Amino acid sequence: MALWDMIMARIGQFRRYVRITEADEIARRYFVMNAFDGSLTMLGIVLGTSLLRMREPRVVIGAGVGASLAMGMSGFFGTYLTERAERTRELKKLERAMVTQLDETVWDTASSFVSVWAAFVDGMSPALTAFIAVIPFIISHLGLIGFETALAGSVALVFATLIFLGAYLGHMSQENIPINGMRMLLVGILTAAIIWLLSEKGVETAAALLAFNA
Amino acid sequence: MPKPGTNVVRVTKVVLDVLKPHQPTILELSKLLGELAGVRSVHTVLREVDADTETVVLSIEGPALDYNVVLDVIRGCSASVHSVDEVSVEKTGEEAG
Repeated sequence: MALWDMIMARIGQFRRYVRITEADEIARRYFVMNAFDGSLTMLGIVLGTSLLRMREPRVVIGAGVGASLAMGMSGFFGTYLTERAERTRELKKLERAMVTQLDETVWDTASSFVSVWAAFVDGMSPALTAFIAVIPFIISHLGLIGFETALAGSVALVFATLIFLGAYLGHMSQENIPINGMRMLLVGILTAAIIWLLSEKGVETAAALLAFNA
Repeated sequence: MPKPGTNVVRVTKVVLDVLKPHQPTILELSKLLGELAGVRSVHTVLREVDADTETVVLSIEGPALDYNVVLDVIRGCSASVHSVDEVSVEKTGEEAG
């Protein structure tokens, strides 16, 4: 029970810091923006690699995990440094207004904590959504499903993630949830269409269609 | 003359003029003060609101207030005491009857 009480106390403190610095808004924004980045990057990697006629799950896993890690690191450190600078500026502004130093007060602690927390959200969200898209290829690598199934599964997972993110935005803005989900999905479909058009197969099909129309 | 130490003077009320950021709110600050040992009631009035700060008047009462602990809580909430506007003390011991 002592451990449980300690965890609850920590969570309470965490919520207090977030409330004081009003960091929930920025974390929500970071979460959606970067999760969206992660999903679309993976869609690009998955479709790009597959359209190159590479039928090796290992290649997609390697590229995907590498991209997840890089996006996670870039998100974490980029946000930490930016958020730290922003919070320090805000703290100094408050110190000027209060005409006193705020070292070792709740604002000082909350500012440091929130920089790490925002960095964590920003680093985790693209890495997580990117990793979701890699899962079917891991299953394929284990020999449980074929490459084509993994490809379809991965694209479906990316689209599902996009719908979820859109729906979350709809929930946040108290707008129509399905419409917001579909709007985000459309961006995914558009990205997939552009990748397909730019691929060898797409160019061939377009040329054939143009020749047919002429 | 009473022997030294036989009488204890306790602080039973302080009224403080405090400058604080908007966060933590007066509700949170009042609750934290109310949780302190020796505090019976906290009455907080918002006097002035500025862009980044607000001025509040805290009226803290109890059987035995520890002023330094009260100051620590206020300071911990990133607030600062501008003035002590009112103090009440009570004597307990032989002389108090």
